[in-house]
Amino acid sequence: MVEERLILLRDKEIPDINNYDVYVKNGGFDALRKCVSDHSPADVIQIVIDSNLRGRGGAGFSTGRKWSFIPKDHPVKYVAVNADESEPGTFKDRQILENNPYQLLEGSLICAYSIQATAIYIYCRGEFWDLAHDLEACIEKLHKENLAGENILGSGWSCPIYVHLGAGAYICGEESAMLSSLQGLLGQPRVRPPFPTQVGGGLYYEPTVVNNVETLANVPWIINNGADAYLAIGTPESPGTKIFCMSGHIQNPGNYEVPLGTTIGDLIELAGGGQNGKKLKALLPSGASGPVLPLTDEVLNAPCTYEALASLGSTLGSASFIFMDEDTDMVWATHRMMEFFKHESCGKCTPCREGTHWLKALMDRVLAGDATESDVERLEVVSIQMAGKSLCALNDFAINPVLSTLKHFRSEYDAYLNGEGAKAASKKPVPAKA
Amino acid sequence: MSELVTIYIDGQPYEVPKGANLVDVAKFYADNGIPVFCYHPKMEPVGMCRMCLVELGTIMRDRDSGEVITGENGEPQVRWFPKLQTACTTTVTDGMVVRTNTDAVIEARDDMIEFLLTSHPLDCPICDKGGECPLQNLTMAHGPGRSVFYWEDKVRLAKHVPLGELIYLDRERCIQCARCTRFQDEIVGDDVLAFHERGRELQIITVSDPPFDTYFSGNTTDICPVGALTTADFRFEARPWELKDIASLDVYGPEGANISLSTRLDRDAGGIVIIKRVMPRQNEAVNEIWISDKTRFGHHHTRAAERLTKPKVRVGDRLVEAEWDHALEVIRKHIKPNVSVGAIAGPTLSNEDLWELRKLAQAVNAGAKLSIYPATMTGGDIIAQVGVGVGTNFKDMGSGTTIVVVASDIEEEAPIWYLRTKVAGDRGAKILVLNARETRLDHYAADSIRYDYGAAVSAVNDLAKHEAVTNAENLVLICGAEGMTLEQHGELMNACANLLVSTGHVGRPNNGLLAVWEGANVQGAFDVGFSTEATAEMMAKVPDLLFIAGCDPIGESAEAAGLSKAKFIVVNSLFDTPTTAVADVVLPSQSFAERDGTFTSGERRVQRFYPAQGVIGQSQTDWRIFASIRNGLNGSAVQRLTAGVFKELAGEIAAYEGLTYPALAVVERQFPDVGGDDLYYGGTAYQNNGGLGVQYPATSEAEGAKPSKFATKGKKTSYKGLTAIPVNRLYDRGYLFKYSDELMQQRIGEPFVVINPADAANIAGGSRVGVTIDGVQYEALAVVSEDAPKGFVLMPKRLTSQPGPFAPAAIETIEVIAEPVGA
Ligand SMILES: Cc1cc2nc3c(=O)[nH]c(=O)nc-3n(C[C@H](O)[C@H](O)[C@H](O)COP(=O)(O)O)c2cc1C
Ligand code: SF4
Ligand code: SF4
Ligand code: FES
Repeated sequence: MVEERLILLRDKEIPDINNYDVYVKNGGFDALRKCVSDHSPADVIQIVIDSNLRGRGGAGFSTGRKWSFIPKDHPVKYVAVNADESEPGTFKDRQILENNPYQLLEGSLICAYSIQATAIYIYCRGEFWDLAHDLEACIEKLHKENLAGENILGSGWSCPIYVHLGAGAYICGEESAMLSSLQGLLGQPRVRPPFPTQVGGGLYYEPTVVNNVETLANVPWIINNGADAYLAIGTPESPGTKIFCMSGHIQNPGNYEVPLGTTIGDLIELAGGGQNGKKLKALLPSGASGPVLPLTDEVLNAPCTYEALASLGSTLGSASFIFMDEDTDMVWATHRMMEFFKHESCGKCTPCREGTHWLKALMDRVLAGDATESDVERLEVVSIQMAGKSLCALNDFAINPVLSTLKHFRSEYDAYLNGEGAKAASKKPVPAKA
Repeated sequence: MSELVTIYIDGQPYEVPKGANLVDVAKFYADNGIPVFCYHPKMEPVGMCRMCLVELGTIMRDRDSGEVITGENGEPQVRWFPKLQTACTTTVTDGMVVRTNTDAVIEARDDMIEFLLTSHPLDCPICDKGGECPLQNLTMAHGPGRSVFYWEDKVRLAKHVPLGELIYLDRERCIQCARCTRFQDEIVGDDVLAFHERGRELQIITVSDPPFDTYFSGNTTDICPVGALTTADFRFEARPWELKDIASLDVYGPEGANISLSTRLDRDAGGIVIIKRVMPRQNEAVNEIWISDKTRFGHHHTRAAERLTKPKVRVGDRLVEAEWDHALEVIRKHIKPNVSVGAIAGPTLSNEDLWELRKLAQAVNAGAKLSIYPATMTGGDIIAQVGVGVGTNFKDMGSGTTIVVVASDIEEEAPIWYLRTKVAGDRGAKILVLNARETRLDHYAADSIRYDYGAAVSAVNDLAKHEAVTNAENLVLICGAEGMTLEQHGELMNACANLLVSTGHVGRPNNGLLAVWEGANVQGAFDVGFSTEATAEMMAKVPDLLFIAGCDPIGESAEAAGLSKAKFIVVNSLFDTPTTAVADVVLPSQSFAERDGTFTSGERRVQRFYPAQGVIGQSQTDWRIFASIRNGLNGSAVQRLTAGVFKELAGEIAAYEGLTYPALAVVERQFPDVGGDDLYYGGTAYQNNGGLGVQYPATSEAEGAKPSKFATKGKKTSYKGLTAIPVNRLYDRGYLFKYSDELMQQRIGEPFVVINPADAANIAGGSRVGVTIDGVQYEALAVVSEDAPKGFVLMPKRLTSQPGPFAPAAIETIEVIAEPVGA
């Protein structure tokens, strides 16, 4: 059986690592000190590029390259940490924030050092109220220890850290909407270019690195152990470990940190298999936003890497693995996801604003047993009308559940069309254990 | 011009300015109307509606050699974006390749229209926008003509949401394009509109109190691509296709805003053609496509019930209606050779009226005093010398230009100049505001310079050392007259001219002086030989015979009371006023809407306006009235057409030499092209079919012109004791605006004065006070605020029914008449 490899979820091994002294005793802030004393900002960026660390917020973009886009001589630059964690089934950033916050802060500071940022903003989802306050206490400690704020470690570089709470919008996890929200504007994605790293595109229109919590939490380890050590974990294209948020009909739901490249089957085994021994039939590998996969042998044997999931026709995304067992009504589940996207579309783009409404309305019909064959066709027509025509990815996320369940679980739709829907509807997914 | 690049649209190459917007370029250079809803060339693109999707690529070049990479057939290779791209967020670069007519593009347009219509009420038959609606037009041009969606699932939302008193929102019709919010935010700087909620619930709300608080709200209804925003003035009044648009001009301000009067025969108005609405007419050099709400909604005076319809003649202490012939006969009888004569011209007399008034007055007495009302500002001759150079356009001002606004609350006095100054500031122009108090423009100022009332001249003299002036490539001074006497204003104009001349900022475009004249044709009046000095002299020594036209001095200005002492007074007026009350003969004149003529703007642009509305009663154009009187005196000929009067005038007034009506009516294609017959910028009324006008050169622009010297005595006035400072408000009860309809009346507000807290020891804000000046008590609401400098009380002009001071005046007492309500 595969074993966990704990770079991020060190709280699983070291109790109380969310305590500053415990964190420091276990090598905490060595990496930041090393950067400030031994490495130039450019060196740090190069190490992260060499490690091939890829963004854990969903898109998997090279973290080091993103940092390298920041114009060197621009006077004002920011790091904005994306802690909006709103993807259904994602709860990894929360565990880091709750149990290993200093590692995130250290990673953020290293990033800030590498671009010589003037401030760090951490954008927490609104529900992380308590966490945000705990985080503020940690930040206060860092300011006291001269690890943040003025003239950090005597280097002459200053960088305060601020925490900001969102107001409960999924779209504010999208990086440009997050920046607008931070600025006090309506949380809607912006036109790109200019990208956040460019002048005019970032926070307050200054160049800004936006990274996910998990991404940044990797950085201290990479600095301490070197890019090669990191590359030795996982696969060359997808190196390092990844936290998989296992939920749904799985026996032992929770966060599991394993090297990328671990197969889906092994992950299921690690989490105890299907709940109550039931057979699992479907996987949502990136919450509601990626295409649903049927758990065929091909899928079970596939390694969890960015590339492999793409070649299966889905995405790794933030690796929120929601499992559905043989009793699950996939039509019901899809309807649920459409409710989510309709609710969360920011409304800026015509296809997304109207399309998510229509997908949900059509799913209402299907679920109510009122749908005809042509309504099911409409689901496809609307999805195609939307595809690729909006400003941000939410639009395309929204059509994934519909198109993928139509492809893999068409017979369940047919059951609704044939009036057998009610029977199927009684089989709802059991909520995951808390 | 900017650098050109080559782009390919549907296979054709075009040379276009680098960095321009793809939608604009395609329209202007390729006559290719990429459909848009949210995009508007005056505002930053947001990429919301997704209507402008196109296939986009670039010609591939070898990284090292820079050579174009060609395929097997020798054609250049194109690297296409994998997905369709929004043209509106694309700026053109060399080698850009665009396809707008492929299946993918056509389908995407179908898709967007279908999506939009699923949330749209389709109540075109009762919608004011119907007939000139971008959504309607683009649906006909690009829509699929069918829908797979369910009608029952349409949104049902509130349809009559007042966003303030002037504008109504129909929530169902809104297509969430953010044009209105961006206009308020980017162009005006009053971000009083916002989106609320999200997804399909995304809706427009107003976030100010009072709601939709701005002087520019009407413009949002023009740019709204659907009938979601309509004006309280025009909604349900007429269908666009019944309307005939007549080119006209704003009658209120010095900016010369170009407007269209949308007219129609109207049963309720007795079957005459009337103005149904006022729309901006595109003139990129003047007002672009924006007008203030005063310009838009202030047209009701033209057919107010109070309009005079017949001449009146004094019989004892009464004025009785008379026939024209009789009235003119009475006037002739009273004109004795060489009596002393004064002519007082209001700010809305056209150049032709002024010319005929001058001829008439001088026919009676060659030494006739030709004067301008209101007599608050002077220096028309200075503008003729060092006014802004020909080709000056706020739109070209940005980084490198400094715009100085002195002694003017320009948002209230010339809202279009305010707006264009503000936007030039956004583009990088430096704005300096010099005033004794804070005004709205201070928000956008690089530097706000405060002086004490009475010390404006030295503040301007000090500017010579200011970094924003010494470093300026271009320098424009905009000069008002707040807090000064006529004489002080003369000094200030000299100081401004002196600064411009000594720093070399005259005689070329985007440099020179602008005066914030109090009215639409004050510049014309100076040009035709009238002056405000003459007014002052006349008030000191009243002539025997007075011609007053187009104004109400006795009703508005405390200083004008003495005019009633003239032996014989002839008043041309639209209404009965305190001035007509002292007249011996009152002659009904026509409003600007019923006739043609020319106005000269503060930028010295001579522009035409055209007859639009049916004539009210027996009213006559002012110039014809004066000509008839003159003809009766000496039998000299009367022109048949207004054009003839202008021709005569242009032959006599050097500055107007060579100007003709046809020349003023010339229209060139403008960029951005929003006034044409496109399907998506909304309305055809923008279209300029009346002419762009002609800006005549200032004398400093002539070859080898030696700028004159302008000297100031540099004398400061210091005020002792509490002093009233008359200030201008956009919405007031002046001669014309007073006769607005209810809609505007409720926006004018009651008389108020602003008192500094230090001067308001016993006065609570909100109390009614009586301010006594020169033995006259003025009742007003007291506003206690730092907006008034210590020792000064701001007293808006023309808010009361009493004539008030137009120049700084000593306050004798302020007494509280009633404590604040609820205190
Ligand atoms: C609709 C939408 C929601 C998103 N939500 C999140 C989120 O909750 N947290 C996150 O880190 N990234 C989220 N992202 C991805 C961010 O836009 C961005 O790519 C990421 O924060 C970059 O960080 P990384 O490079 O470290 O992954 C979201 C993207 C979209 C389109
Ligand atoms: S795709 Fe949807 S969520 Fe994203 S910007 Fe457009 S409307 Fe908003
Ligand atoms: S009200 Fe009109 S201009 Fe404003 S967002 Fe809606 S459709 Fe656009
Ligand atoms: S998205 Fe380009 S015009 Fe609306």
